[in-house]
Parts: sequence; structure tokens; C-alpha cells
Amino acid sequence: MRWLPSFLSVSLLAAGSLAARKSSEERFKTYHAKSLSSTPVKLGDSTYRELTSTPRDYTVAVLLTAMDPRFGCQMCRDFGPEWDLLSRSWVNGDKAGESRIVFGTLDFADGRDIFMSLGLQTAPVLFLYPPTVGPHAAASPDPIRYDFTSGAQQAEQVHSWVARHLPDRPHPPVKRPINWVKWISTFVILSGGLTASYVAWPYILPIIQSRTVWAAVTLISILLFTSGHMFNHIRNVPYVAGDGKGGIRYFANGFQNQYGLETQIVAAMYGILALSGISLAIKVPRISDPKAQGVAVFVWAAILFVMYSFLISIFRGKNAGYPFALPPFM
Amino acid sequence: MRSLFSLCLFLLAAVVSAVSTSGNRLLVILDDVADKANYSKFLADLEGRGFQLSFETPKSESLTLFHLGERTYDHVIFFPIKTKGLGPNLTPNILVDFLNAKGNILLAISSGIATPNSLVSLLAELDIQLPADRTGLVVDHFNYDASSAPEKHDVLLLPPPGRLRPDIKDFFGAGAGSNEVLAFSRGVGAVLGTGELLTPILRAPRTAYSYNPKEQAEVVDDLFAAGEQLALVTAFQARNSARLTLLGSAEMLQDTWFDAEVTKPSATGGRKAKTFNREFAKRVSGWTFNEIGVLRVNWIEHRLDEPGNSASNETNPKIYRIKNNVKYTISLSEYAWTNWEPFTLPSDDDALQLEFSMLSPFHRLELTPETARSTPESTAYTVHFRLPDQHGIFNFKVNYKRPFLSNVEEKNTVSVRHMAHDEWPRSFAISGAWPWIAGIGVTVAGWLAFCAVWMYSAPPLTDKGETKKTQ
Amino acid sequence: MSADPLHALASAGKAKSTRSVLRVVILALIAGAAIASRLFSVIRFESIIHEFDPWFNFRATKYLVAHGFYKFWDWFDDRTWHPLGRVTGGTLYPGLMVTSGVIYHALRALTIPVDIRNICVLLAPGFSGLTAIAAYLLTNEMTTSNSAGLLAAAFMGIAPGYISRSVAGSYDNEAIAIFLLVFTFYLWIKALKQGSMLWGALCALFYGYMVASWGGYAFITCLLPLHAFVLICMGRYSTRLYVSYTTWYALGTLASMQIPFVGFLPVKTSEHMPALGIFGFLQLLAFLDYVRSAIPSRQFQTFLWVFAGGSFGLGLAALAIATSAGFIAPWSGRFYSLWDTGYAKIHIPIIASVSEHQPTAWPAFFFDLNMLIWLFPVGVYLCFQELADQHVFIVVYALFGSYFAGVMVRLMLTLTPVVCVAAAIAVSTLLDIYLTAKSPKPVEGQPADGGDGAAKKAVKSGLKSTSKPLIGVYGLYSKVAIVGALTVYLLLFVLHCTWVTSNAYSSPSVVLASRLPDGSQHIIDDYREAYQWLRQNTREDAKIMSWWDYGYQIGGMADRPTLVDNNTWNNTHIATVGKAMSSREEVSYPIMRQHEVDYVLVVFGGLLGYSGDDINKFLWMVRIAEGIWPDEVSERAFFTPRGEYRVDGDATETMKNSLMYKMSYYNYNKLFPPGQAMDRMRGVRLPEVGPSLSTIEEAFTSENWIIRIYKVKDLDNLGRDHASAAAFDRGHKKKKATKKRGPRLLRVD
Repeated sequence: MRWLPSFLSVSLLAAGSLAARKSSEERFKTYHAKSLSSTPVKLGDSTYRELTSTPRDYTVAVLLTAMDPRFGCQMCRDFGPEWDLLSRSWVNGDKAGESRIVFGTLDFADGRDIFMSLGLQTAPVLFLYPPTVGPHAAASPDPIRYDFTSGAQQAEQVHSWVARHLPDRPHPPVKRPINWVKWISTFVILSGGLTASYVAWPYILPIIQSRTVWAAVTLISILLFTSGHMFNHIRNVPYVAGDGKGGIRYFANGFQNQYGLETQIVAAMYGILALSGISLAIKVPRISDPKAQGVAVFVWAAILFVMYSFLISIFRGKNAGYPFALPPFM
Repeated sequence: MRSLFSLCLFLLAAVVSAVSTSGNRLLVILDDVADKANYSKFLADLEGRGFQLSFETPKSESLTLFHLGERTYDHVIFFPIKTKGLGPNLTPNILVDFLNAKGNILLAISSGIATPNSLVSLLAELDIQLPADRTGLVVDHFNYDASSAPEKHDVLLLPPPGRLRPDIKDFFGAGAGSNEVLAFSRGVGAVLGTGELLTPILRAPRTAYSYNPKEQAEVVDDLFAAGEQLALVTAFQARNSARLTLLGSAEMLQDTWFDAEVTKPSATGGRKAKTFNREFAKRVSGWTFNEIGVLRVNWIEHRLDEPGNSASNETNPKIYRIKNNVKYTISLSEYAWTNWEPFTLPSDDDALQLEFSMLSPFHRLELTPETARSTPESTAYTVHFRLPDQHGIFNFKVNYKRPFLSNVEEKNTVSVRHMAHDEWPRSFAISGAWPWIAGIGVTVAGWLAFCAVWMYSAPPLTDKGETKKTQ
Repeated sequence: MSADPLHALASAGKAKSTRSVLRVVILALIAGAAIASRLFSVIRFESIIHEFDPWFNFRATKYLVAHGFYKFWDWFDDRTWHPLGRVTGGTLYPGLMVTSGVIYHALRALTIPVDIRNICVLLAPGFSGLTAIAAYLLTNEMTTSNSAGLLAAAFMGIAPGYISRSVAGSYDNEAIAIFLLVFTFYLWIKALKQGSMLWGALCALFYGYMVASWGGYAFITCLLPLHAFVLICMGRYSTRLYVSYTTWYALGTLASMQIPFVGFLPVKTSEHMPALGIFGFLQLLAFLDYVRSAIPSRQFQTFLWVFAGGSFGLGLAALAIATSAGFIAPWSGRFYSLWDTGYAKIHIPIIASVSEHQPTAWPAFFFDLNMLIWLFPVGVYLCFQELADQHVFIVVYALFGSYFAGVMVRLMLTLTPVVCVAAAIAVSTLLDIYLTAKSPKPVEGQPADGGDGAAKKAVKSGLKSTSKPLIGVYGLYSKVAIVGALTVYLLLFVLHCTWVTSNAYSSPSVVLASRLPDGSQHIIDDYREAYQWLRQNTREDAKIMSWWDYGYQIGGMADRPTLVDNNTWNNTHIATVGKAMSSREEVSYPIMRQHEVDYVLVVFGGLLGYSGDDINKFLWMVRIAEGIWPDEVSERAFFTPRGEYRVDGDATETMKNSLMYKMSYYNYNKLFPPGQAMDRMRGVRLPEVGPSLSTIEEAFTSENWIIRIYKVKDLDNLGRDHASAAAFDRGHKKKKATKKRGPRLLRVD
């Protein structure tokens, strides 16, 4: 890679001279015309440098991305469509180019030199080059960088960000096209489901009316909620985590955090405890054979006891200094 | 009424006790106590105005401006001092503290004598720039005293200063005869910053400039300043109305220039003229030592202005209600040499304004004199207005700051509460509510009628729905 | 202690009178235990109001007692939210204050002079006793078992999930609200079972009391219509339902609209729409019912039901349209964040910032409910066994209560009652089966419960497991085993509850307790020290700026006006404070001048390693401020390029220049030998030179540096800017500015 710097400088020179040849005004004209045909404009090394070369009396919003699956940039692929949607609706909303902004996209494949010259390690990066001359000229020609820290953004959020940096200029709103496929498919599925249910009504009805089904559904959801499933859903915690020594840690230490698997284990324990309780309360007294009943009682009672002591021991792990315990898990 | 009476008593007491509104202990700092002979007339005038003068030199150990944190003097005059340093008792920080403690300073410097460092840095803090030591001399080749400085042109003859701005009272030049001029001899001109606390009393004429007599004896390049940017006499009034005056030429105050004969240069007729210095010195010192241009707020009163309301006769209540009518009155006096006079606005295009503000002013109203409440010593300014439709903690604020007048900044905080639950008009008083009231009546009547019909109608034979309802 | 009543019951003769006497005695004991177990903090520390919100309630109560009810009703509080003030009478739930005020005056009338503070401190325990009794009544409606109610009362009395908000001194709305919640539910069930207007009206009455006491009344407002709706869907529409629901809704809505804070919300906002919709739907059903009874035609009836369903759908559509058109306010933020759990974090950071609005991890459930958490499903399942109307209520309540409790920690409170009831049903069933001396000959199935539905349901669609008849338990050993195990569990439960209460829930966060190396307890009293300093050394109307957490305490303990407090109704004002804290001095000073701030108070845990300090809350201030001024405050600027939130030498410039940072670490390094300054909370080494302040000056720092108070300087007397004035005082002279600036700016006047 020793040749790179020299190559870079050369290319930069070339770009500079190239830019010098065309005035800012006609540059904007050409690229605006391009964007009218297809936006965001696909850029390469030279075109990028030409477009962003000073002096410029227009704004350039360019997304540096890496769509190629080789790089495995998930966020790029998430944000790509949003970006296209934003630029398209903006350009359609402002065909005359009164907002004097050009939307461009530079893929790593076409412009790795740009990425290197800008010293970019990550993608996607969204730069907004403010105009250096003209009515909206900014103090410094340096681009403003959009902050992608909070994941891939919606087009609306980026739109508001761009609009904030383009005061007293028209801001065409983002227009999301109606997703016909979705509507039609949902309609079809809905009607299909309705007809199916109508046909199968006599078979469905007992299921709906079956008290056991409802009881099962209720209990399961209660177990889910009381074992902290909503916490996982909101904080999207990891399912399991590895300890330092290559093993797997099932239980997060600390009172205020937990893993996905952990909650499922806890839910299972609650379930077993509840099940044994139910059997002791309902099933066992209905067993007509005395011997079988005696066995059942002791089996269920043992399960209950062991499970409960295990649960307490786990809780002691979570909350150091919890004094109580039951055998066998002292 | 009694308040007014006690007020008059207080004013009387004020008049007899001290001639200045802020004490009469005046410290004069000279390079050598013998020098005071040069200024005998000026000092005599001060004593005649009731000041107790005490003389000190910077070197003396007994000299101290503060004793146990209290000011030992009310005013200080600095005459030119040869020594560079003023010793530990007059460091700039002490002088700043003196100003912060409402002490007044009259600072007379001269071009011949270097200004002490501490004074220079004090002035620097006030954003007043002096030329470097002994390098500033103000000359004017058009208005000079032909008799005393025919060659060097360093004794300026200036007309007494007029109004600085049309809306500012003329304290210093008023009443000067047409043939009276100010003799400003061998003085230093200062350059003022753009702060609003600084005001030039006397500005150099357009043709004057300040140069360095040593280096620039032959050819004058690179002026320190010239023309009206050159302030010869400067007034500084701090936020707490402490005053500092910088007098560019100490010689102005010397006996030689009091009531002296001067001759205007031949170009402008060469006529003889009398100097205005004595009167000017009196006025400048008087202003500096709070003898003129001092405003006093005698009392402030705000009250409800609603005839029917029983709470109207309570003065300065802590709390009002939104959309009350309120009357605000403030009584102001101005001190002129010996006594308090009713304060009147310097000119018609000036205004005394009341702000009723929470975070930002909701009202900004002009206060007008009210003759009924005015006394021989004071004018009462008043305004009626209606409180805004917004509850919160508001301030009645009078913020009147003008050059040469001491600052008036009065803030009275009141709460404006919302409508209480029983202060709204009753429903039957609102014609729009009548349909609903009628609706209520109809419903009640209908319900009663229904009950009556229901109870006196025989139950049908076997209808479980009905029986269940009736149980 | 919850086991012995059973032995007593067993031993006691079957005479009804003895039983009832025993019940009364036991209930009284349970209530006493519930009260006693909440007095740890009073015994350990003193009779003091806890945390934050209670301080406002306490202040309001004092105002009420001092000025009377009407003054309280029209109270305009000009000592909070300076300079906006707060229309307090119209923006609080007066139930709590009025309750304690009534108690106070009643005691005075009985010539028992008692300090209002003690009433406020002990109100919550007192009402917890009532809650236990209410739980007893509610459970008795569910089952005919003798012991269930008493068990439920005992559980309710000592369950940590309820104790957490009702220990002595936590004088908050929940203190009485939970009692009202349970009692309203009891009355509702009563009214539903008997279909009587009287009980319905009583239910509405207590519902009104509930509305006057706690914002959580929306839970009832949504749960009762839901219950009614489920019943309708189960084809259990009855005139009982009609009478009880309509009575409750009409009267209850009128009652709730009497509270100024609620006003017309019941007809305007979406939270209340379900109740209204079910009300209308019930009218329709009643009409159809009547028509059906009048016109016995098969097709016509089907047409009628279709008509009913269609109109219900139409009603939903109309509701949706009205909401979108803006006639009905959409879900209010706090309420909406319960459904769309990601909502608050994005849109209302101020809600997300409150610690008790965080989701609940499973240890919290076990911590607060211990064994009840797994007895809970058992009880719910038993409710399915014979599914009368009231059991449907328990099921619905269980489902939604557990959902809400999972989403928000504080809503564990609304879950606890149903858990206690269900668990009590479970335990009592077990005991009834295993604690009978009866010889195991086949006995009749469970006694038929009131409610016409139950009997035929048992026949038609019972649970599969209850198809066989109930026989009983043969072996004595099995009985002993189960009963013994249960006793162990119950004792363990009691131990757990006592331990949790004494260790976790009994510290008034005003006073921090720490253990010295020798094990003795050391009280850290910085808060009160600082507030006392404010009270004694500042002007009566000195405005204190602090983060909103401390607003109520400053108002209550220091009695000084504050800019913002824990009643977070004005996001912009809070954001203003956040901006002042997170900006440079030059930016903050004008803001503080404009709001007439005299003192600024910050909480700093660096010296003691106290985690709840302002540097840890700082990001929330930044976020809230950024929500209003996205151009001036940016959260990103407080993170290092590597995305870390640091306070040591590598902190970002924005962080180092922010007022909060400067106030926290001002002069801190003077405590340590040079270069050794450590932040024990963050566990990092601080830079050699600490920050310097020019527009504010340190006024007070408490013993352990937890509270630091700064005085805002006035404008400089000589018209300089603060930076140069401070430089001058430090002794740096301005150098003579002869040639300093090139083009001299001329003076025009």
C-alpha cells in the first residue's frame, strides 16, 4: 500500500483541477438534472470530489455506505431504502431545485479511496456539506456528520435533521408510497381466514368454548409476565452470555438484570411448582385408589419441595445476603 | 398621611446633617501636603460646602480606606502623585472595593506627572485607557490660550459642555456666560470603552489631539487619539451609583486658573475671556460627591383599583388575581446641592416606565406625574392598568438609568393567582347555559313522572324481565 | 402466624358464634400485625416523612390543616415552579390530604392533641390494616372456604409488594389508594352478584374516593368494563350485570368529574372510552333482551344479535375516527407507554427517566411476593374450576395485573392484591382438603356457589381435571406431610416478609444509614444538614435551582421556592433547568438571571460513593434539554469519540465545561494530595487541576460532600464580565491596552 498516498495526492490534484474547470453553478445544474432522473446520485471517486469541491453555493447530502454483502454491514442495508425514499420524495417535492441540495450515495466498492482519505472505518456515514458561498454560506466548509449511534434511522428523523441544517429553504416532506402488496395480502389472508373459520366453525367452537384451553392460555401468559418476560422485551437482553472460561452463564448476576434463558428457566420452575400445587389440590383427591393416591401425594410434595428450595437457592445467587434456604439446596 | 409627615421630618434631618447625600468625610491624597496651597480655592469651596477634609500622602502608614470592613471616608480626591506605586493601602483591589462600598472618587491627573500604576489599572478595569506615562499631552492649534501658551498650544480654551444628548440634563455647562471658557491646561486625554457606565463630561474639540511630547517633538505620526474620541473629563457611575470622575488636567483646579484672564488665539479674534473653571470644578466635584444628580425613591405603593372590591384599601398586597385592575405609584426626589426637589424628567422624549414582568415583560407602561400625591420635595408617578390573564410570580419593575443620574432600579414581587372556584359567574347568570339548565329540569321532572307512572301501574302477570328489574 | 387460626378453627367447636368471634379476633390480630410490621423505620430512625413525593403531600396537608378546605381547593402555590407558580388545588389528587385532615380534626374534636406529622407518618400503616380487612371481604366473595379470607388478609397484610409503598412515613397516594382499590373491587363483586343498585352506588362512591386519591384509578376504570365485556362475550349478560354496571358508571363518572384535576377527562380521553363504550353497549343489549323476550322469532333473534355485533363494531370504528379527528384525546403519554413499551424512551424521556417506571426483572417479583408468586397460578386455575362471574373477574384482573406489573415496577402494587387473593384461595383449598379429620369416604363435589351460571357450566364445559368426583385424601401420612410442608412454607413466607421489610423498605432515603468497619450503624444526614442550612442562612424567598428530584424536599424541608419539582407537569421548564445545568457558564448565567435564581443545589456522590447523585442523572438532564433545544444541547457531545461517558481527564470538553460538572468537582481535588483526586462513585482518577467558576461561588458543602450549594453572583458592579472580574480579584491586572486591538471601536454618544 505504499503507492497509496502518492496515488491519493495525484487523484486529489486531478479532482481539484476537474472541479476548477466547472463553476459551482453549472455543477449544481448538472447534478440536479442527474438527480431528477435518478436520485440519490450514485457517486464515484472523481464525481464525489467534483461535487463536494469548494467553492460551492449548494448543499450536498451524501451517504457513504457499503451495500456489498461481503462487508456484512447490516445497518447500511437497513438504512439504504430509507435514504432512497428520503431523497426521492425530497427531489420530487422540489423539482426546481430551490432548496439547492443534492443527494448522493457513495458505495465503498466505487469509492474506497474517498473512504481512506476521509479516514472512515465504519459505514454508513452521512455527510452534509454546507455551501461555502452564496446566501446560505456556512462558516466552515467542513461537512456535518450525522450521528448513527442509535441504530438505523427512519427517513423522517433524517429528514428533520437535514431540514434543521437547511434553514429558510423549502423542506419537501417525506412521502411514503402506499404498500399495495401488504394491503392486498392482508386482505386476502383475512378473507381466507374468515371463510376457513366459517367452514370449520363447528370444530372451532368447542375449542373456543373449552375452559381448559382458556385456562392454559391464561396460566401460560401469567407465568411469562411474572417471570420477567416483558423486561427482556423492553431491554432486549441477551439470551445467554458466556463466562470468561468458554462456558455458558445461565444466570446474570445482579438483582436488576437477567438473561432470556434465565427467565425461561424461572418460568418453567414456576410452572412446575404451580402444576404440583394444582395436582395436589385437584387431581390427587380424585384418585380413587388409596395406594396410588399416597404415592402421588408424596411424589408431588417432593417435587414441590425440591423445586422450591432450588428456586430459593437461585434467588440467593441473584441477591447476595438473602438469608433463607430450604434443603437440599442449602 | 403620617408616613408623609415622617418623611418630611426625615428630609429635614437629611438637609441639616450632611450637605452631600452620602456623608461628608472627604479624603484628599496629595503627593506632599504642602501642595494643597495650589488648590486652596477649590478646597476652600469644598469646605464651604460642608465637607470635612483630611489630607494624607500615599506614604503615610495611618492612611486606610477601610476600618473593620467599614468605609472610613465617603469620598476621595487624588491629586497628581509623582511616585509610581501607591503602597499597600491603595492597591487597585482596595479602590475597587471602595467603589463597591459606594465610595466616590475624584481623580485628577496631569500630563507632566506620571499616573500611579494602581490608578492606571483601576481605570483599565473601568475600561478607560490612558496614554503611556508622560507620553500624552493634549494640544489644539485652534483653541489655545494665546497668553499663557502661545508656542506649545497646550492650554486649551473650551466652551463649557452642553447637553451630551437631548434627553440628558445639563449639569455642568448650564448658565455659563457667553464669554466664559474652560481653561484645560497641560492635560491628558483618555479614551473610553463602549460601556454604558461611562460618560464623557468634557470632550476635546474636533481639532485637538494627544501626542507624545518627547518622541514626537518633531513629526507627529500615530496619534494616541484625536478629536471627540478624546475625553478630557470623564464620569463613571457604577451599578450601585458609586461615582468616579477622571479629570484630565489637575491644573484646572489650581487657583491660577480660577477666574483667570485668558486670550483666545488671534485666528478667532484674540478677545479676552474669563475662565469658567471655578464653577465647573464646583459642579464636577459636586456631582462626584453626590451633591447633584442624586435620585431617591421615597416610597412605592401598589394597590387594587376596583371600587367595589373590599380588598381595595389594602396597600402593597402580596397577591393579586388575574385580570385585576391595579394602580402603581412611585415617589421620586432629586437632590440639588442643598435640598431635595421633586424629580422631573429631563426632557419630553424621556419617559419613566413601569414593567410588569414574569420572565419577560407582559406590560411596559409610561408613568405619569400625579399632582395629588406630590409634595414640595417629591413627585409621585402613577399608572393604572389591568393585570394579564396569566397566573405566576410577577415583578413591578422600575428601571430608570440615565447618565449623570443615580440609578433607580426598583423591583416589587407579587403573585398573581388564578380564579378561585367561587369567582366565576354563576351558571344561571350565563344566558348560554339556560338550555342545559332547562334540560336538567326536564330530566328530573321526567324521571319523577316515570317513577310515579311505574309505581301506580299494576305489574303484569308473569314477565320475569320486568320483575327482575323491579326487585 | 397465618397458620394458627386454622388450628384454632379446627379445635373450636362448630358453633357459629365462636367462629365469628374467632374471625373478628383473628382479623384484628392480622390488622395489628400489618401495622406493626411497617413501623421499622419509626423505631430505627424517627417519625419522619420519607423519600420525595411524600414531602409535598405533607406540605399540602399542613396547608390544608392551617387554612381550611376552600383555601386548599383554590391554593395557588407561588413557592414552586418559580416563576410560573402552580395551581396546586387544581393539579393534585386531594384524597390523601383530606383524609388525614379529617382524621386530624376528628382527633382534635375528641380532644386528643396530636401532631399532624405523626398522622401523616402513620396513615399508611393504618390503612394497610383496613386493606387486609378489605382483602378478607373480597376473598370471601370468591369462595365459601372459611379460611381463604383470613389467609388473604394475612397475605395482604405482610406482602412486601404492598409494604414497599406503605411503610410508616411513606405518605403517598398509594398509601390509601390500595385500600380503596381492593374495597371498590369488593363492592363491585357484591353489586354484580346481587345486581343491587345499593351496592353499585356504594361501589361508585368508593370509586369516586379512589379517583380523588390516586391517578391509578384508570386501572379500575378499565378493568370493570373489561370484566363486563368478557362476561358479555361469555354470553353471561344478565340484568344483574346491567343494573350494577350502569349504576356504577353513571354515579362513578359523575363523582370522578367533581375532582378539578380530572374534570372532563372521563368524557374526553381514551383511557375512559372503554367504560363509556360498554355502558352504551349494555343499553343496546338490554333493549335487545327486552325485544327478544317480547318477540319470540328465531331469525329475528339472530338478526338482533348480528345487529348487536355490528353496532359494537360501528361503535369501535366511530371511536377510532373521533380519536383521529381529535374529538377524543389519544392515550396520555404515561398510560400509552404501558402498551407501546418503547414509546416513552423515545418520546417522553422525562417519564422514562423515573426509576419506578422501569420494567420489572423476575427477582423483583420473587422478592416482593415470595411463595405467592407460584401459588398465584394455582389460585387462578382453581378459579377456572367453577367459573362464576366473580371468578372471571379474578382471572381478568390476574392477567392484566401481571402484564402491567411486568412493564412497570411500581405497578407491582396493583398486582399484589389479586396475587394475595388467588394464593389464599389455593392455600385454603389445599388446607381444606388435607386438614380434615374426615375419614376418606366419597364426599359430594364442591358446594354449588351463588350465581345462576355456575351450576350448568359445571355440567356443560367444566375443566377436564374436575370431571371425576372429589373423593378426599385417604392416608394420614400424606395429610401430615402436605400440612407440614405448607406450614413450613407459610412460616418461611412470614420470615421473608419481615426480613425484606426491615432490610429493603424501611429506610427513609432522606437519611442514609451506613455500617462502620466495626459493624456499628452510622447515619449520613447530609440532606437534612443542607436543607437546614438553606432554611437558616438564605432569604425567605431565595430561589433554589436544582434537578427536579429534590424540588419537593427543598420545598418541604428548607421551605424555599424552587424552579422545578417532582410534579413534572411542565416539560419545557424542566428542560430549561436541564439546559442550564448542561451548558457552559456563559450560557447558563443569563438563564439563571432570567429565572431569578439565587442558589444552585447539586448532589455529588463522588466522595462517599453515593450512586444516586446528579452526575449519574446528568444524561437525563441532557436528553430532556435536547428534546427542546436540539441545536444547543446534544447528548453525543457528552460521550467520548469511543462512546464512553467519562468524568476523568478524558472527558469531552462539553462535559468539562458544563455547569453540572464544574459544580460537582469544584475544589474537589483540594481534598487530596496533588494528582490523587479520586471519584469513588465512578472509580476514576480526576485531572490535576479542578474546574474554576466565575459566575457562581461556593456557598455550602455538606459534611460528606453529598450536597453542594452555590450562590449565583450578581452582575459586576463595574460592568465587567464575570471572567475578567474574577481574574482581577485573583490579582491578574489588565495590561495597558494601548496597542491591543487593531481598529479601535469608536464611541458614539
